[in-house]
Amino acid sequence: MRESKLMFLQYLTGLLILIFGTFHFLLLSYLAPTTNKVLYLYLGNTHQLIGGTLYYSTVKEIYTTLLWGAMFEAFLTVLVYHAFNGFRVILSEQFQGPRAEKIITYTMLVIALIIFIYGSRTIVVLLTGGG
Amino acid sequence: METILKGFGEVVKTVTFRVRRYDPEKDKSPSYKEYKVPVQKGMTVLDGILYIKENLDHSLSARYSCRMGICGSCGMIINGRERLACQTQILELNKDLIKVDPMGNYALIKDLVPDLEKLFKNHRAVKPYIIREEEKADAEYLQKPEQREKFAMFTECILCGLCVSACPTNGADELYLGPQALAQAFRYIADNRDLGFNERLNVLDSKHGVWRCHFSGSCSDVCPKGVDPALAIQYLKGLLTANVFVKHQQEGAAKGEPRKSVLETL
Repeated sequence: MRESKLMFLQYLTGLLILIFGTFHFLLLSYLAPTTNKVLYLYLGNTHQLIGGTLYYSTVKEIYTTLLWGAMFEAFLTVLVYHAFNGFRVILSEQFQGPRAEKIITYTMLVIALIIFIYGSRTIVVLLTGGG
Repeated sequence: METILKGFGEVVKTVTFRVRRYDPEKDKSPSYKEYKVPVQKGMTVLDGILYIKENLDHSLSARYSCRMGICGSCGMIINGRERLACQTQILELNKDLIKVDPMGNYALIKDLVPDLEKLFKNHRAVKPYIIREEEKADAEYLQKPEQREKFAMFTECILCGLCVSACPTNGADELYLGPQALAQAFRYIADNRDLGFNERLNVLDSKHGVWRCHFSGSCSDVCPKGVDPALAIQYLKGLLTANVFVKHQQEGAAKGEPRKSVLETL
């Protein structure tokens, strides 16, 4: 594949990581559609409900919906691509030559696949009631 | 008696030049040698080096030619920054110690003389000329002033190689094309007379091409002619990304009237 395609995907996954990351950190605690709220904003003697839920059972309930599972799988995919293509770029600048490039590319591909499979397994186990 | 250079003002002060010396035939490793140079008003670092060569140490080697910032031969690292020695006024540096090193990221021939083969090889690799199918240039390809404006800045490159010396990617990646070659690639791709985008694509869109630029901007910072290679590289990244979805089309300027001989014009 041409370097321009790989780097376009690199930038795209960077952007998606930002979007998924925002979802991951904010939505669950702040915007998740649940009445079981536990986050408050304290204002002197009073406090104001700002939403979200952090009860373990509620967290697990939300995480084990198909929509969240699909989002985590997509998040994992873009993270793995962005990280290991990034490592490939950094390493190929340090070690040049066709042989070194081949070793770097395939090593990154294998490690990325292992992490992707292990991460996917975790998501699937959680979705199917384990974890 | 102290030699005073003709054509300059009065001696203002004495400055120490700490020059990196290396003769691959004699020395195991580079070392620094210091010289005391009386500085007259108007003297450049190149004048200081020539003063040393003529009066203090004939064995010092440096490359230079025009002495007026046009040929791009006297690029070196002066007080830690890439500069043309002929354009650097000693008094403007405002230092009593001037450290002079050869340009980095190149092999060294001797003392302050780098081997610029890498620079020229990368320059040739991007085919720095108008590419057209016609062999016979019997008329001019037409270009409007506003069409030239799109790449005019990049025609100012004098191939001094300072940008490559300053580029951190060139320091790590020996095969990286470098800012000079990439800026020239953009200069020709952006030229409305050119039709060579696809011929340059394999080199530009390679593992050591456009995408290895991390936009540190050192190249643009040190360019003595005000060229902005980092900008050209960002333009190229945009072109190559767009080319993934829609193949880049070059217009290929039309030819003007056939050339006439002097006799025909009479």
